[in-house]
Amino acid sequence: MSDALLQLESLSAGYGGVDVLQDVSLTLDRGAFVAVVGPNGAGKSTLFKTISGLVMASAGNMTWQGQNLGNVQAPKRAHLGIAHVPEGRQVFPTLSVLENLEMGAFVNRDRAAFPEFLEKIFTWFPVLKERQRQPAGTLSGGEQQMLAIGRGLAADPAMLMLDEPSMGLAPAIADEIFTRLVDIHRSSDLAILLVEQRVAEALHFADYAYVLEAGRIILSGKPAELQHNDRIRQAYLGM
Amino acid sequence: MNAFGNLSGVKRDFLHIGIFGLVYLVLALVVSNSYYQLIMTIVPIWAVMGLSWNLLSGYSGLISFGHAAFFGLGAYLVALCSVVWDLNPWITIVLATLAGAGAGLLVGIPTFRLRGHYFALAMLAYPLALLYVFEWLGYQEVALPMHREAPLTYMQFENPVYYIVIALVLLMLALGITSVLSHSRFGMSLLAIKLDEDAAEAAGINSLYWKLAAITISGAIAGAAGGFYAVVLLVVTPLAVFGMLVSAQALIFAMFGGVGTLWGPVLGAFILVPLSEILYARYAADFPGIQGVIYGVAIIAVILFAPEGVLWKLRAMRKPGTFRMLGSTASKADFGVSEELLVVPPVHDGKPVLEVTGLAKAFGGLQATSDLSFSVREGELLGIIGPNGAGKTTLFNLLNGFLRPDSGDIVFHGQSLQRQRPNRRCAAGMARTFQVPKPFTHLSVLDNVVIGAYVHTRSKVEASRHASAAIHLVGLHDHLDLPAANLTNKELRLMELARALASKPTLILVDEILAGLDPQAMQDMLVVLRRVRRLGITIIIIEHSMQAMVQLVDRFIVLDHGALLAEGSPDSIVRNPAVIEAYLGRQWRQEEAGDE
Amino acid sequence: MDALQTLENVLQSLVAGLLIGSMYGLMCVGLTIIFGVMRVINFAQGEFMMLGMYFTYFCFAWLGAEVYFDGLWFPFVLAVLAGPAVFLLGLILHKALINAVTGRRASRLEAQGHYAQLVLTLGIALVLQNGGLFLFGSNPVSVSNELSYSAWEWGPMVGDRVSVFVNQAQTISAIIALVVVLCFGLIMVKTRLGKSLRAAADNPDAATYMGIDVDRAHRIAFGFGIGITAIGGGLLASNVSFQPYIGTEYVIIMYAGVVLGGLGSIRGAFLGGLSIGILQQVSAIVLPNQLQGTVIFVCFLAVILFRPQGFFGRRDRTA
Repeated sequence: MSDALLQLESLSAGYGGVDVLQDVSLTLDRGAFVAVVGPNGAGKSTLFKTISGLVMASAGNMTWQGQNLGNVQAPKRAHLGIAHVPEGRQVFPTLSVLENLEMGAFVNRDRAAFPEFLEKIFTWFPVLKERQRQPAGTLSGGEQQMLAIGRGLAADPAMLMLDEPSMGLAPAIADEIFTRLVDIHRSSDLAILLVEQRVAEALHFADYAYVLEAGRIILSGKPAELQHNDRIRQAYLGM
Repeated sequence: MNAFGNLSGVKRDFLHIGIFGLVYLVLALVVSNSYYQLIMTIVPIWAVMGLSWNLLSGYSGLISFGHAAFFGLGAYLVALCSVVWDLNPWITIVLATLAGAGAGLLVGIPTFRLRGHYFALAMLAYPLALLYVFEWLGYQEVALPMHREAPLTYMQFENPVYYIVIALVLLMLALGITSVLSHSRFGMSLLAIKLDEDAAEAAGINSLYWKLAAITISGAIAGAAGGFYAVVLLVVTPLAVFGMLVSAQALIFAMFGGVGTLWGPVLGAFILVPLSEILYARYAADFPGIQGVIYGVAIIAVILFAPEGVLWKLRAMRKPGTFRMLGSTASKADFGVSEELLVVPPVHDGKPVLEVTGLAKAFGGLQATSDLSFSVREGELLGIIGPNGAGKTTLFNLLNGFLRPDSGDIVFHGQSLQRQRPNRRCAAGMARTFQVPKPFTHLSVLDNVVIGAYVHTRSKVEASRHASAAIHLVGLHDHLDLPAANLTNKELRLMELARALASKPTLILVDEILAGLDPQAMQDMLVVLRRVRRLGITIIIIEHSMQAMVQLVDRFIVLDHGALLAEGSPDSIVRNPAVIEAYLGRQWRQEEAGDE
Repeated sequence: MDALQTLENVLQSLVAGLLIGSMYGLMCVGLTIIFGVMRVINFAQGEFMMLGMYFTYFCFAWLGAEVYFDGLWFPFVLAVLAGPAVFLLGLILHKALINAVTGRRASRLEAQGHYAQLVLTLGIALVLQNGGLFLFGSNPVSVSNELSYSAWEWGPMVGDRVSVFVNQAQTISAIIALVVVLCFGLIMVKTRLGKSLRAAADNPDAATYMGIDVDRAHRIAFGFGIGITAIGGGLLASNVSFQPYIGTEYVIIMYAGVVLGGLGSIRGAFLGGLSIGILQQVSAIVLPNQLQGTVIFVCFLAVILFRPQGFFGRRDRTA
């Protein structure tokens, strides 16, 4: 029995009959930090949507903790311990910060444990405590990102998927968020699956990385191996 | 092959209409039961209503729940004119047609400004309001006066067959008009608007104009139907002509039979009206309201099981797997590779083609574009790059007219664009492709491209010529007849480029045309782009990945958080530390610096 | 007509408008819930109001006025019970029919998503109206409630002139309406269910990521929406006479109230309905009966043409 939480084997998926992802294989172990990098249009968001169930897989297997994930309906997947922090934050704008976090904890049977979680989240992201009664739509980009992450954590998940958390944020704020993420990761056995544009950050923190291009995994390996890989530089900078 | 487009299509329709008319006439002469004769009169009237609804809503996709307004106005006009001024129906039905047209225009002008739900609600409300007004005016029941002495003049015939003939003539007229329009630029434009209004606008189609044209003609036909209906029934009440059931019927016949087809509304009326009339006659005493229930159930069944109507469902069943294609009015004649049609002669006056100054746009708290200024020279190939969320597509939307800037100006060929809508900008020479391709999925490749060509010519031949040239340029000439839905990602993007080219632009905005392409496809695309460039067209291209762009562009602009980060030649940009940081992240830069 | 008489007429109208408007407000709230959560315009809303009316009427007729409670309260209790009854009907209807055209399935249809919903609800409206005609007959009926004929007198206020008569049944109905709206508001704001509905309305994809079943949320919202409107109908049943086609008359009132208040806002819908009620009663002073409908229609049209986001809404929802 392996340590693998999530296992994708030869997964293909897409919209309207056109496959965006083709033959993607990926493994995420318990407590691991895995990054997926790749140019725009490579299919990174589609990958997450397929794992979460909003996009149907056309071929291949998805297993979660040994069980077939493909049969599970989308809203039920969160109950299994999969948390998804979507691209562009996607907070609930008219709900307050606190209510957003409560919704994050929607799947938790143990409601009594929520206040404890809340405190933990507030320690990691104090600004959320300050603004807890404000509608989430009035928060700045960085604060919304923190809220989205907090919301994901509120479910006490086994895996947290983050889709381009640094997008649209000033570098300093993005740095702060990454640092928090790393703290969170180190202090628990939470597995993190990260999709990022900022290759350096992603490779810096991850244990393992995959490079996605035009829907296929073209490279994978430990960050040290990939870091000075010319193919990545080419893909991003044409040098 | 006919060089005048698909006139054969119209001729074919007219042949069918003729045959249909003949058969119906024979049937009319044979049937002698007066009740069936009444049904044979009523059914064509409702078929006409269905056709009227179809002309607006079936082709354009703007679902009208208020066609009763035009119908009722026509009916009351005929009734009141005959009561008050003793005018005969030959005159008043024509007046009813005009009234319907006028009402259509009057309703359309304010209501088309509304989107989605609001449009539907408003359309629903018009006939209801008219119902109240006519009740208030005291016209609860208007009966047409009897004129036995001059049956022909007053359309009050002893022999019911004459009514059937007139109804048939109206139906054939309506069919004829629908056929001609659907095979013309009118039909093509409405279809484009229905399939993707934004893409249509960007391709130069003035959607408001076509929508108004559609509702005016639609209203006219409905007015005529209402007018004749008054003559047949001899009594008009508000509920009978303005009621929700009337609007529902107009809708259901077309939706049941087949939206956007010529014969669909006819089929729907010919099935549903006799059904409900006969059931009504037999069961009305025990089951009041049976008509409404039948129509309600029919609507529900159609939406659930065959949302596009019986005709389309039949076609899908006969040819399973084939994609449903619409339109096809463009000439398929191969005009050869006539690239010179698309060449942009250079002006050489030293003025920039496009000049952007101080452009800014904010959404809520997010500043998507801030104080952006740059200019583009004639014949230049400018690349715009930047990380996700940098505001690149927003910039294109501002240039193209889909968004209005908060401040700043855009000057194109020396003219400030101000508040010009996208179709005007297209007419002025600015074309565009979209980040997520917007094909008109139910049309063939040729038709998709021809739509772009109509912005500068009325003639089908001209348009087809330009479309053909554009298709050849991008290399899709093998795919002319394929439905757009069957194209691969790369082919879709090529087709969009062809559509943009067909409008004879001087500037093309190309939005992430390389995204998601494998390396070979990317190279093919670059070849095409260089071909476009050689025509003299100025190109601004957004891309995320630098790899391909470096080989292509003359100059780069780098955006970050909506502002200009850097500007210059590919060489200088690629070595610019701020650019590297924005793309790969600060740590990479530090590590590189550490390495060196 | 002297000034005092006019004053009395105006005050009377205002009071009547407030009371009747509360019931309109309740019905508007039902409509706006459906739109707010599901983005569906329910053309059949008036028919569910009609069902609420007939539920109250038949239960009242069958069970007898004096049997339960004090006969005076019975119609009101029944009106409130119409809510859960129609709520259950809504759950079934949604699962059977409406689910097929909303949500992610909608994008596959020719009739672009929300049009399919509109047309479907139109079909349902036709079936309910005409089915009602068959089941209930076309004779106008009403719930006879002694309190409908009693009123408190407020005044005389100026000398021995200017008295306003406040109808007792209407007052109780208005209070009940207000209470129902407040309760529902509390549910939406305080309970886990309510928050999940609001989350599903704000962002269906993100809600799914949280484990919220958006289809189920829509189903419940639909049930709530028509259930609340049915309560409004049940309350109105003591005040007006009705027949199966009455839904069409009230559709414009409900929509006018909802757009006035801003589509999707509960508070806005209640205030919008209240305003329409007042507008209707006050305009009765100067306009003949049939034109009242036209006034409301003009108001509706003016709002959607010039200020589609409404006046009272708190949420900034751009369609």
